[in-house]
Amino acid sequence: MSVAKKISYQTYSKFEQINGEHPLKSRIPGAHIAYQARRRKDGKVRFFNFELAQEMGLVEKGHPSQLNADLEKKILETFSLVIINDWDIENNKKFPDHEILPHTYMATRYLQLQHPDKLGRTSGDGRTVWNGMIEHNGLQWDISSCGTGGTRLSPACNINKKFYQTGDPSISYGCGYAEVSEGMETLIFSEVLHQNRFKTERLLGIIEFEKGIAINIRAYPNLLRPSHFFAPLKQSNHTTLKQLADYYIEREIRNKTWPYKKTDDLALKYDQLAEMVTMNFSSMSALFEDEYIFCWLDWDGDNILMDGGIIDYGSIRQFGLFHSEYRYDDVQRFSTTILEQKLKAKYIAQCFVQIADFLKTGKKKSLQKFKNHALMKKFDKNFEYHKNLNLLRKIGFDELAQKELVENHVQKVEKFRKVFSYFERSKSKKGIYKVADGITQDAIFCMRDILREFPQLYSVKKTFLGPKDFIEVTKSSYAKKADLKLNPIKVRQIRKFQEYYVQLLSTLAKKRKQPVDNILLEVIMRSSIINKYDRVTGNSISFVVEKITNSKPKLSPEETFQVTQNFKFYQSMDPDKISQYSIADQRQKNLFNRLAGIVRENRESL
Amino acid sequence: MKLVLYSGGDEKANLRLDQEFIRLLNKKNPVVTFFPSSSYLSEVEFRQFVRHYSQFGIKRFIHFPVDVHFDRVLLEEVLKSDAIHLGGGNTFHFLKSLRKAKLVNALKKFALDGNVLTGLSAGAIMMTQDIFMASYPEFDRDENTVHLKNLNSMGLLDFQFFPHYRNSLRYEKAFLQLSKKDPRSIIACPDGSGIVIDGETTKFVGKSYLFFQGKKLILNS
Repeated sequence: MSVAKKISYQTYSKFEQINGEHPLKSRIPGAHIAYQARRRKDGKVRFFNFELAQEMGLVEKGHPSQLNADLEKKILETFSLVIINDWDIENNKKFPDHEILPHTYMATRYLQLQHPDKLGRTSGDGRTVWNGMIEHNGLQWDISSCGTGGTRLSPACNINKKFYQTGDPSISYGCGYAEVSEGMETLIFSEVLHQNRFKTERLLGIIEFEKGIAINIRAYPNLLRPSHFFAPLKQSNHTTLKQLADYYIEREIRNKTWPYKKTDDLALKYDQLAEMVTMNFSSMSALFEDEYIFCWLDWDGDNILMDGGIIDYGSIRQFGLFHSEYRYDDVQRFSTTILEQKLKAKYIAQCFVQIADFLKTGKKKSLQKFKNHALMKKFDKNFEYHKNLNLLRKIGFDELAQKELVENHVQKVEKFRKVFSYFERSKSKKGIYKVADGITQDAIFCMRDILREFPQLYSVKKTFLGPKDFIEVTKSSYAKKADLKLNPIKVRQIRKFQEYYVQLLSTLAKKRKQPVDNILLEVIMRSSIINKYDRVTGNSISFVVEKITNSKPKLSPEETFQVTQNFKFYQSMDPDKISQYSIADQRQKNLFNRLAGIVRENRESL
Repeated sequence: MKLVLYSGGDEKANLRLDQEFIRLLNKKNPVVTFFPSSSYLSEVEFRQFVRHYSQFGIKRFIHFPVDVHFDRVLLEEVLKSDAIHLGGGNTFHFLKSLRKAKLVNALKKFALDGNVLTGLSAGAIMMTQDIFMASYPEFDRDENTVHLKNLNSMGLLDFQFFPHYRNSLRYEKAFLQLSKKDPRSIIACPDGSGIVIDGETTKFVGKSYLFFQGKKLILNS
């Protein structure tokens, strides 16, 4: 039987397992509110992630990237739903029995700092429900949908002390709906980051309704966040906290992502949980800093997953330069800066040390008590280790070279890192100023440009660049004449940058008993991919999404999938994963050229 | 002038042309610059280019996409290279980018100064008077997506060059027809073949076809 024929007979039965049921419901009753749900009509599939669906086993391997009537029907039956919320119940709304789905759907409870309660008793999924869990090839996936109706856990309900009808136009976020543009931003951004080996939620599909309203379906192997743990921690609720920890650990073991040997010693497991979070969050915060990922981490830990994966792209940005003074203006307060993320990540890790102790002793001690815990030192050490590795990777060294240099020549690496930071953190004399959604101070050097060009120039010239030439290569479009003025300190730093860079090459050449030119050649090839000229930023993602969603005629789900695929391959910065890829369709080519233009234009922005 | 025009095909098929390129280069530790026709995924092409030519002992390379901003420092080194290779792709986009970057004349001067200039497909067409051949025949042409009207190019050669030629009746008919109207000779090369110009000497590597005044000739078999 041909593949096409076989697929046309598929029943897509795995979708039927996604029906609201989830082990969290019975295992941790205190961690969710269960809502009845009913079918929502008039939805259309706007996007479906055929690649992710294959990974999750929802469609067969080799399924064409095309919707058919059966598949579309299954997607809508599974995900086009709206909860019967507290306002419906309060107002005694009746719905036909045949519209009501057989199982309830969870809105999970977690800590959110914008809630007046501050203890997590009223906060959590405000417009999201969990659709369920499926298993494929030994991996369990959580699936949730955003835009399925307003829950009582939304900030609006608790600040205004009333329930809202789903779709109530008087309240934006609290109305329980989501938009297509939000889904598209998550889609494009998460696929690019996933392609570049970041841990991130991914978008499985978008169901579109009138006026740009949408249900955005997300998936990840484990959707629990630190904030899920912080709610019972703040409430000193040992029972729920223990249930959560036990469930989480079991799930990680089952998914083979638990990095420890099997043990029945519960106390040891809780210590391991704290250690795992420490290691994940220290390496994650180093990576975010080095890849200029702005993620508003705060003490409630609701913008991040337990393994440091990205969730909720509403406040995620990728800067083109190290704009380390940028703060998002959230009306009542400013966000953290990219450099403050490390402290927040460390704070989250410290909370898990507190959690482990609470679980083991039954007594909740002050968080301050764990400030000097051994794991906090481990956090710092691991952060530094990853900062060094990340820089070596950005230079273009392969994994073996990175390890060799970090483990045996760390002083040389750190010397280079110090001078690299001098340029990376240099800011414009213009000072701090307002931008559309916050405040910033411009970075004046584009380190990606010097990392890409310096090895080529050194290989050709065999001498160091003069100060003026170095500045010419490294300056960003934000730099003004006054910012670039040479002085003895800058000249010395320029010299050091090149000396220490070449020292790293020579050290590796000596170790490998190879000429420096051979090492340099490999670095040239790798760094041209890692530091390619076109790289998406938060700003460019917004414009890219606008271009895609406004395309006329409207892109079909298949075309949207194709655009996403094209875009993520174009944005692949991983020299070990990259493959040749060509766009055959003329419409896709034209659209793609425009998208590439947008990326190029915004490549140094916020 | 030292030019090598590649039609296309894989590395194995172009071995003889590559050997000619290395012969023309005739320099210890040369610098070779790769000009992709477009920056889109050009890093991957560059990596393949470096891996391939490093087998011939070349160790110094520059990657120089022209449709994105470049700095003066890199350009100076590019124009001091021993060889420049113009990559394949959309000929219209490539010419438009070269023109916008004000590099058409700089490349011409580079070749006239005796440096080695090589080109593959679109890159080879770029060395001729104009890039008309990128739009001919109708059944096998580049899309002029950038709406380029002025097709004038480097003008280093007085013949037209057609890459990826297939020796079929359809192609033959199209080129015989064109050669009756256009006084310039058309040299059509299948993948793996090409032309080497070393001063006054022109060498055809692999099978090439000449179309001139309504006639077809095999130049080398």
